[in-house]
Amino acid sequence: MALRAGGFKRRSGASSQIPSSSMADIAFLLLIFFMVTTVFRKEKKRRIDWVDAEATQKIDEKRKNILHLWIEDGGQIYINDQAIADDEIASIVRPLYADNRELVVALRGDRDVPYFKINTITKQLQASGAVRVTFATRLEHRVMRPRR
Amino acid sequence: MPILNRKQRVSDEIPTASMADIAFLLLVFFLTTTVFNEEKGLPIVLPEEKEEQEVSPKNLLFLIVQPDGSVVVRRGESEQEQVVAYRQIEGILRQELAANENLIAAIKTDPDAPYRHMINVLDEVKKAGAERISLQMVGE
Repeated sequence: MALRAGGFKRRSGASSQIPSSSMADIAFLLLIFFMVTTVFRKEKKRRIDWVDAEATQKIDEKRKNILHLWIEDGGQIYINDQAIADDEIASIVRPLYADNRELVVALRGDRDVPYFKINTITKQLQASGAVRVTFATRLEHRVMRPRR
Repeated sequence: MPILNRKQRVSDEIPTASMADIAFLLLVFFLTTTVFNEEKGLPIVLPEEKEEQEVSPKNLLFLIVQPDGSVVVRRGESEQEQVVAYRQIEGILRQELAANENLIAAIKTDPDAPYRHMINVLDEVKKAGAERISLQMVGE
């Protein structure tokens, strides 16, 4: 068997360039992923110092079932970007709860709010029937795991 | 004749070279605007209004949260009180739950205590695995 061309002409078949023809496909794939997962923020972000808790759980609830109730440092309460007086909560939440029985109220309270504020809110939520409540917290990693 | 050589220069294909650029532009837009759903917290179900039930005092463990963050532990039937730091509650509650699984952890918070102290105690109670929790305020 004769060697063809003495091996000098052997070249690696792999191209040294990044294939750019599939770039668009990759980009579109990522694009579709982000388009599907994007939910635009409805509310303004409020300045809240979160409370940390180790038992923080992820709330698996559809976004439309969650009502945010913000309690700012000074005690001002907001629902859907509107400042609310303390005694209006029941009258605002009641129709929302009547529309959607799966409503979960997420209390996003500042860490320094005095407790009587929270108590008036929970009392009014009870009066409006929306009894599923979560106290929004941030996950806390308090203890370092012992090394083995 | 030169007139015959004239050709139409406009290509009838969609230019694919810029496709990636367009896609990446849109991609960057969605990347920056995306907010992932991150609803986190301590869930609790409040009792319905007028749904008060009588509980036997021996099933109650009061955790009274003071404005300074210390916690007074009082077992329902006794008058004996014990002041603890909130980090000890998990251990105490685990013992109590092992002895009596119908125990209700009643978190009684002072009206002037900051919210975070109450959450700290609720956190401990949740960590101890208590299912029956009651939220109250001192002086109601």
